[in-house]
Amino acid sequence: MARKLPAAEDQSRAPGFSRRNFLKTAGVGAAASTVVGVGGACTKEPTVIGPDATTLRLRVNGTTQTVTVEPRVTLLNALRNELDLTGAKEVCNRGACGGCTVLLDGDPIKACMMLAADAEGHEITTVEGLGSPDEMSPLQKAFVEADALQCGFCTPGFVVSGTALLAKNPDPTLDEIKDGLAGNLCRCGTYSRIFEAVQKTARRG
Amino acid sequence: MPQEDKAQEPSVTFKVKAGLPSDPQEMEVHAAEGDLKPWDLESLPGFQHMGKPYPRFDGPLKVTGRARYTYDIKLPGMLYGRMVGATIPAGTIVSIDTTKAEALPGVKAVWSTESKKVRFAGQDVAAVAAVSPEVAMDAARLVEVTYEEKPFIHELRAAMEDGAPLVFTEGEAPGGEDQRVRGNVAGPRRGGRGNVAAGFAQAAATIESTYYLPVHTHSCLETHGVVAHWEGEQLTVYSSTQGVYATREGLAEALETDRKNVRVICEHMGGGFGSKLSPSATGSAFAMVACKLAKKAGAPVKLMLDRHQEQLCTGNAPSAQITVKIGAKKDGTLTAVEYTSYGSAGVAGGAGTAGPANTLYANNPNLKVEEYAVFTNTGPSAPLRAPGHSQGAFALESAMDELAEKLGIDPLELRKKNESSPIRAAEYDPGVKAIGWERRNKKAGDTPGPKKRGIGMANGNWYVFANPNVTVEVKIHRDGSVELFSGSQDIGTGFRTAMAVVAAEELGIAPTDITSHVGDTQYPQGPSSGGSVTTNSVAPAVRLAANEAKKKLFEVAAKALDADPGELKSEGGKVFVAADPARALSFKEAASKMPGEVIDCSADRKTQYETFRRDLAGTQFAEVEVDTETGEVRVLKMVSVNDCGFPVNSLTAKNQVIGAMIQGVSWALLEDRIVDPNVGTMVNPNLEAYKILSPKDMFEAESILVPQANLGNNTSVAGLGEPPIVPTLGAVANAIYNATGARLRELPMTPDRVLAALAEAEGRA
Ligand code: FES
Ligand code: FES
Repeated sequence: MARKLPAAEDQSRAPGFSRRNFLKTAGVGAAASTVVGVGGACTKEPTVIGPDATTLRLRVNGTTQTVTVEPRVTLLNALRNELDLTGAKEVCNRGACGGCTVLLDGDPIKACMMLAADAEGHEITTVEGLGSPDEMSPLQKAFVEADALQCGFCTPGFVVSGTALLAKNPDPTLDEIKDGLAGNLCRCGTYSRIFEAVQKTARRG
Repeated sequence: MPQEDKAQEPSVTFKVKAGLPSDPQEMEVHAAEGDLKPWDLESLPGFQHMGKPYPRFDGPLKVTGRARYTYDIKLPGMLYGRMVGATIPAGTIVSIDTTKAEALPGVKAVWSTESKKVRFAGQDVAAVAAVSPEVAMDAARLVEVTYEEKPFIHELRAAMEDGAPLVFTEGEAPGGEDQRVRGNVAGPRRGGRGNVAAGFAQAAATIESTYYLPVHTHSCLETHGVVAHWEGEQLTVYSSTQGVYATREGLAEALETDRKNVRVICEHMGGGFGSKLSPSATGSAFAMVACKLAKKAGAPVKLMLDRHQEQLCTGNAPSAQITVKIGAKKDGTLTAVEYTSYGSAGVAGGAGTAGPANTLYANNPNLKVEEYAVFTNTGPSAPLRAPGHSQGAFALESAMDELAEKLGIDPLELRKKNESSPIRAAEYDPGVKAIGWERRNKKAGDTPGPKKRGIGMANGNWYVFANPNVTVEVKIHRDGSVELFSGSQDIGTGFRTAMAVVAAEELGIAPTDITSHVGDTQYPQGPSSGGSVTTNSVAPAVRLAANEAKKKLFEVAAKALDADPGELKSEGGKVFVAADPARALSFKEAASKMPGEVIDCSADRKTQYETFRRDLAGTQFAEVEVDTETGEVRVLKMVSVNDCGFPVNSLTAKNQVIGAMIQGVSWALLEDRIVDPNVGTMVNPNLEAYKILSPKDMFEAESILVPQANLGNNTSVAGLGEPPIVPTLGAVANAIYNATGARLRELPMTPDRVLAALAEAEGRA
């Protein structure tokens, strides 16, 4: 299944905040201001936002939403606590488990490792954006059929990573599936069923 | 944990076909008044739904991110709570200053502990509730705690040494007053039979080895946590728990309020594995604290532990040092087993591991068991999936393998020779076939090249536990829709789906025609999900309630069909005259004839009665590849053969078994709680250094279920969550031995240990 994700909306948010300015972030601390700017390619001074709450425009699942959060708030917390998109889970909160995986311009990223401010100008897709209980994506359907879940807490992360994998590689080998999902952990032990769901979806095309 | 059955006068006798389908046995059981004739081997071929594969009902919600876990609950005006834990492993709290935290804008309530003694790092000290998780984190950092530090002891073996700092002073240690405590060591608890000295005297061969297992943490992906919401005196608690009723009981008591005022809800939960059986956790009272913060702040409070706290204070499986001595005759017949175990449950008691030694190979006449508990300044343990049994089976089953080697007998033959369970005896062959046992090395390590493959096996056991305090409600509505209600929670086993399968079998409709409501104290009481009791405790009550509802439906249908209710049958969505199936109504039509709006039936579970076997068997086979140059172990394939009575839903049941093997391999190869000996806190309280098995490490996993009757209840259902993790550690270790000739006696079997064991084996050879 090669689901095409909408292209990023290349728009500036406000004067002085070009999209390129939001690609990388440095200097984050408790109650500290956040410095936003492009790493090596930056020609301008980094833009400083915060420490107070600031309003961000996020493109999530095809619509533009605004959130007003402190600049230190992660994309994960903005999605979950502000936009009530709780499909992405907080599990380790430091990039070790993949429970918080969302797509950023089609690439799987760990939303606990990115600031919401850095996600401005990008197209974010959460597990909710891939399908709904009444209209599941082919991979979501295959997860249910193969019973590729138990408690289900890791499942949204696996569904998102699996979706990204199939978008890039519509016919992956078992080893390629393992590689594609290597950043996600499941404690209940559903890996083999997840592989089966991905394979089934690939076969169905 | 499971409770003993209520004493209840048996009053109906049923003759049942019990045991294995390949070897049916007549059995008489004595059930309580009003119980149904149990499903037995004769029912098996006629099942319409039982044992068939049904995708779990909550699957679509979970795969689309719509399932609401406790972590996902958001209420209007909700605050975010955060616990503050002790940063030292032992000492006294001199003062807790929360003024700075309270003064921080956005902080709405603060709590601090009244207890002064600190016995492990991570113990509850204070808590805050604030308008955002970020502000709560700032506030937690502003809590100033002054400690008076004491010497501490961090690990089992060190704690057993003379002069080790004492975790408890006299009379303080958990475990009751009549136990003997010397230093940090309590016990022994003794068990056994016969005379081991005489047994060893008869032995042609004897082996004695000591095995060591570290602490494993549960590492549930959803951390422990609650959302507490007061409306006047009414308290609603959303909790990530394995027991909504137990949580209500514990919180009502702690908050000194009536149970009627407290409602606990757990719609979906992200893993427990035994750590979520207490109202809060074994090492934290966070749920009670959240309720207090919510009351103080006058707003709902969500308090989820973070990963670090989860690793420190929500329980763990005890470490263990186990010495096994086994003697056998030339032909492999066991003559004596001596089993001595030292386990550390941190600051808690209950670190026993002798379950497998007490249960497996029951024909051995001479057994001596001693179990000691060793205290350390680390978080208290909690039951972890077959508590004590994976540790005990690792030691016993590794020792059996060592004995087989010494006797020059195939390790499988040694087990068969001493097998005391007719069920396990029947489980060997399917497992042997699935793994290809004949492919194993005749001589351990006898393959060319640096990458060596081998095959091993091990046994495990569990028990038929049941909790009789169960009520289930079934409703058939006038439009034919059906609901069932049970207070027990679905912890990921597929409980809600399984209960619908049982009701469907009884009602003669499809499981998907039934809506299951679970995980709420507003529903009839159900047990906590621990000890593999949920399915087999609740299923018989589901069947009874469904049967009651069916009888009422037959009464209304009988009139319409001009028949006697006793002549009716329901199957395939139809209610019909059994002798003349053409005289039929659809289930919906039958329901539409009811005079009122709903047929509403509740039933209590009847008492548990005689079982074909009191224990559950189980055997496992593993194939591994060991890189003898790097010490890296890869599990290639595992096969688990299990009995669980009649499987309810083969799809979810096998998922449990495969999941247990994955978790077991993770324990065998990777998991190790490391405590810094200098500061006494956990070095790896996370998921990147506390390694669990990842997709890259995944192997081929096969589950074979062997149906069996009778399990002492009207559905012949037994639990399956725990048994399949018991043999895994030993099976992997024994496979590594077969691959390399190196015996790994300490977990996890990391490359350094594998290389050391290889060097030792070479030195010996
Ligand atoms: S929560 Fe983001 S990777 Fe674990
Ligand atoms: S299904 Fe529970 S963590 Fe993966």
